Amino acid sequence: MTPTVYGIESLAGISLDSSTRLTLSDGPLQLGWKHSGMTSDFIAEVMALPYSRSRKDYVQAHHDIGYLSNELIENAVKFRQPGEILIEAGIFDRTFLIRVKNTIDGVTSSRFQQLLHRLQSRDPGELLLEQIETNAISAESGSGLGLLTLLSDYDAKMAWAFEGNNDQRVILTTTAAVAMPPSSNL
Amino acid sequence: MEISDENFRVWAEKNEVYFDGVFRLAGPDAYAPIYSLISGLLHEGHKQVTFNLTGLEFLNSSGINLLAKLTIEARKMGDLLLVVKGTSQYPWQAKSLPNLKKLHPLVDLRLA
Repeated sequence: MTPTVYGIESLAGISLDSSTRLTLSDGPLQLGWKHSGMTSDFIAEVMALPYSRSRKDYVQAHHDIGYLSNELIENAVKFRQPGEILIEAGIFDRTFLIRVKNTIDGVTSSRFQQLLHRLQSRDPGELLLEQIETNAISAESGSGLGLLTLLSDYDAKMAWAFEGNNDQRVILTTTAAVAMPPSSNL
Repeated sequence: MEISDENFRVWAEKNEVYFDGVFRLAGPDAYAPIYSLISGLLHEGHKQVTFNLTGLEFLNSSGINLLAKLTIEARKMGDLLLVVKGTSQYPWQAKSLPNLKKLHPLVDLRLA
């Protein structure tokens, strides 16, 4: 079945074959919240290394990779159905690319697709401020803020693919890209 | 009063709140005690309250939501001046803190 894609379609189809691949498995170690921070720190440590000749570039690369990875993995941990989370990450042509794949349920899938639908026709900076105002008056947990900060404050390019129409299991693949500083020893 | 774990510390001294370390809590519920601490300070009758973020290395989007909510709370107070001290040493601050000024034009944002 063809997946439903939101965001930048070419990004959803891009091959990450030569990237680093990590799998977070549900198992005896009990996949939990703290693993998103640990995993994104690891990815940032590894991927920012080529920028270590310049302190400024290293700090920027390390931070941007860490923030982007953390938001995507936090979402995967928070909204996932039992099962593994697959993470692929690499640097290609001065761009850090990360793809996170996990399973969500049908309700989460529809709510998320509604949000993405809204995103398509609006400026992410405006939507971010709107979402913040909504979150301030609502007791519910604020959803969508991570994605909106990525699009608005980090100029991230993103794509989301939803596969399967089973109410219990929809496979969500999120791909995101941010520009890296020009200097690296890659 | 202070709230902390192995990664972060937040505390108030008179009318200044200090944030230190890496804030990666799971959502509004997890940030609620910090919100209460600072919201309490905003309502103590000070003319000025300062958020000192110069030690705040990392903040996830739920943490950004916390700062934004507190800024909106300060906005409601009318004549309260909110000073936000940050640093360009941590890239997220230059990227995301200007949003606070968009929420509340009277925020005095100082990025050193």
